[in-house]
Amino acid sequence: MGFLDAVLGRKGPAPSKASDDDLFDDEFQRKLDYLALVSKRVFAGRMRAERRTKKSGSGVEFADHRDYQPGDDFRYLDWSVYQRFDRLLLRLYEEEEDLAIYFICDASSSMGFGDAKKLRYAKRVCAALAYVGLANLDRVSIVSTTDKVQGRMPTTRGKARIFKAFRFLRELQPQGQTDLEDALKTFVAQNKKRGLAVLVSDLYDPAGFEKGINVLRYNKFDPFVVHVVDKAEAKPNLAGDVLLYDCETGDEREVTVTAKVLQRFEAAYGQYLTDIERFCSSKQVPYIQADVNTQFDELILRVFRRGGFLR
Amino acid sequence: MILAGLTLTQLAMIFGAAAAFATALYILKLRRRTVPVPFSKLWEKILRDKEATSLFSRLKRLMSLLVQLALLALLAFALGDPRAAATLIKGKNLVVIVDASASMQATDAAPSKNRLEAAKEEVKKVIRGLGGSDRMIIAQMDAAVTPLGPMSGDTSELERALDGIKATDARADFPRALRFATDSLRGVDNAEIVIVSDGRLGDAVDASGKVHIGDDVKLTYIPIGAGKRNVGITQFSVRRYPLDKSRYEVMLEVTNTGPEQEDVELSLYGDKTLVDLTKLRLKPGERLPRFYPNLSGASRTLEAKIQPLLDSRDELPADDRAYALLPERRRAKVLVVTPGNTYLEAALLLDEYLDVQLVTPQDYVSKVAPSGLKRDVIIFDGATPLEPPRAHAIYMDPRGPGSPVKVENEIKTPGFDRIDRKHPIVRWTALDDVNVSRGHKLVPGPGDKVVGQSDVGGAILVTGQRAGFKFVAMGFDARDSDLPLRVAWPLLLLNSINFFTDEDSQYISSFRTGDVWRVPVVTQTGQARLKVPGAKDPVLVPVHEGRAVYLGERAGFYELTGAEGAPDPPGGAPTEKASPPPGPAAVATTTSFAANLLDAEESSIEPAKELVIDGKKAGTISGFQIGVRREIWIYLLLAAILLTAIEWMTYHRRITV
Repeated sequence: MGFLDAVLGRKGPAPSKASDDDLFDDEFQRKLDYLALVSKRVFAGRMRAERRTKKSGSGVEFADHRDYQPGDDFRYLDWSVYQRFDRLLLRLYEEEEDLAIYFICDASSSMGFGDAKKLRYAKRVCAALAYVGLANLDRVSIVSTTDKVQGRMPTTRGKARIFKAFRFLRELQPQGQTDLEDALKTFVAQNKKRGLAVLVSDLYDPAGFEKGINVLRYNKFDPFVVHVVDKAEAKPNLAGDVLLYDCETGDEREVTVTAKVLQRFEAAYGQYLTDIERFCSSKQVPYIQADVNTQFDELILRVFRRGGFLR
Repeated sequence: MILAGLTLTQLAMIFGAAAAFATALYILKLRRRTVPVPFSKLWEKILRDKEATSLFSRLKRLMSLLVQLALLALLAFALGDPRAAATLIKGKNLVVIVDASASMQATDAAPSKNRLEAAKEEVKKVIRGLGGSDRMIIAQMDAAVTPLGPMSGDTSELERALDGIKATDARADFPRALRFATDSLRGVDNAEIVIVSDGRLGDAVDASGKVHIGDDVKLTYIPIGAGKRNVGITQFSVRRYPLDKSRYEVMLEVTNTGPEQEDVELSLYGDKTLVDLTKLRLKPGERLPRFYPNLSGASRTLEAKIQPLLDSRDELPADDRAYALLPERRRAKVLVVTPGNTYLEAALLLDEYLDVQLVTPQDYVSKVAPSGLKRDVIIFDGATPLEPPRAHAIYMDPRGPGSPVKVENEIKTPGFDRIDRKHPIVRWTALDDVNVSRGHKLVPGPGDKVVGQSDVGGAILVTGQRAGFKFVAMGFDARDSDLPLRVAWPLLLLNSINFFTDEDSQYISSFRTGDVWRVPVVTQTGQARLKVPGAKDPVLVPVHEGRAVYLGERAGFYELTGAEGAPDPPGGAPTEKASPPPGPAAVATTTSFAANLLDAEESSIEPAKELVIDGKKAGTISGFQIGVRREIWIYLLLAAILLTAIEWMTYHRRITV
């Protein structure tokens, strides 16, 4: 911000839109291959067919019984039980199917704050995990959200489709406000096939990050939270009398920034991260904190170690 | 309280304008910078807490503005140069006399280099404690009194003046300094004389009597120094023997002015070569003379030096060296016009430095006088030329119109009944009982001096000057008396020749510092160049009646250079040598001489604890504290700076924002 801007009280520059041309360069792709190999080694000996969904259906492995309802397929009645207990019970089998993996990439303005480090990082994480999923012949879909579903890459399978994912991610630009609840409600309505929902976001949701995650939980998706964090945001370079405005909502607040205020802000920021982690832990939602200053491949390996992404 | 600078109206206008500007800037400062944040919710709790103290914040901000306005008020007030009315009217007027005499070179004032440096430090303290209305003049006191600037209250100017003081090798002329101080303070209120010295100043009495210091003048004394131990050379003299000028003798005196016994090593150098080395033990207060007779050699410069030995101490280096110069010998050309006089010829043979030529009166008239050859001295024995010679002359029994004095009737058995014994031509002679059978009465002209006079007849020995040349006229023929049989005869002749050529046995081998010297020099410009010991460039000194006049204050060897023009004086200065001529009309001559302190009083370095002048005891210095100045504006400025510092600190620590 120049002197004139300061004198006239003009607002600072809008969040930058960094070029994404080199986002998925050769180096990146080489790392993806390596990650795919590593993922195979980690899950060696486990066939894809062993993956089971919670959906019961026409599989071969018995899952449970339930009472017969008119209209049910007679073929699944358990006649042995009927003979012994005189009750019509239906045999339920675990249905074996391809795993659907949804990458929900938050593309709100807060993700593009500063030099859009968080969004770039989120894109890379999405791309990497998508590649691993595609390499394992899972059905992969990517959606971008703000306060609604902004864009969607249809479900696809096969390693060769990774470039389609690249194209989609490359075109994402930070914009709009964050409203995970509304956006994810739309998402679950659009995607009937349940599966793993990897939420890559900074979780700066004024309405509360919990609501968005709960939407996934309540709709039987397996949420996996990758929390993109820029630790520099904990220590903003501010001093003196300033007028703060929210880059998403535009809300303005006057504040006099002192060393004490900065300390308290850092503490509040740390508390916010702790709250998110605690919530995910209590709801058994896999949670990974992704610091933008960490190499993305390191983060992917941490995702693997954390488990729950590939089963 | 009055304003010595801008008026109150002007100050109010300046303050008003500055305050308006500061307030405008202040309002501008409060316009906040807008900064985007990614998630304002995180700030909410903090902002809620801040809101609780917002009233206090506003107050603090207001305080910040008030501080700035107070700062401006202080600066504006400082521009007015406010002063207490009393101090403006009653500022002190000081004359500070700094002793720069030889004793102030004593090295007992550690950590300062010497007493003079310590004195300067003391005066600096006084300068830095000067009030806004105080005025001061600093004067250097040595053989003269030199004011080092005008009466001023400017501390930097005074300190510069003070730094210009240099120690001399002379004693202080205290009465003169006091007279200068009292004259400077005459008719001035709040007058004060500050004497910064070791107190070895003697009585404040001069030719005009006691120096009186008025009752309205405060007298203050700042004593300097603490040491007492010193050994110095207090006498040093050298002379050639009158009858054997190839030999000389040296007399010196070493004095222990301290309270303890001291061992010193005394060295005597001739032309910088060691001639004698002696170890001396001096009791407290002892004066020890040393005599070196019958020294010979080509030495011109003589230097005596003492050095303390073992546990002895010598705290004043200024009196540890003494210098002397022997007169340069040269052959005086003497023409004797005589029909034949064995006594005269024999007497002149006694001095080997005389180049004697004998001629008869006829030859003188016919050959020598027309040739115009220069002679230093011409002796006319019983013959008087009609034309006076262009040289100094001795007339023995003059006659006729050519005589320099009128010769009257013959007198029988005249005697030297009255003798001017102080005259150099009769020095060491006993003429009272000289028997003269007959002679002639001499009638001296105006300005002539009668050296010998007979009660029966009149003057028989007269000296004087004609056309720039000296003469001695003796009113009788030596052969008509028993004078040639006496020792006085050759002495009278040689004294007369020396009187003419200035090769006086009373030649001053060294001058004394602190005196006004009158050194013979030949110059046409009325000025001569004097090379002072320790100085790079020569100084120009005035020449009055053929002598350079200079108040010497440095011990050592001096060189005096002038320009010589025609006619060439035959005698000239005692030690004179010709340098390459600067031009066809003038020849530069250089005269060397030595100067010494040689003052036992000055060598006594024990400082005086108190100073009493004219029954008035000098008080101690008071009312001057370093850093305490009476100009209010300085304190206002300091307060403004302090306020700025506080404001800056509180602003950056976010206390007043």
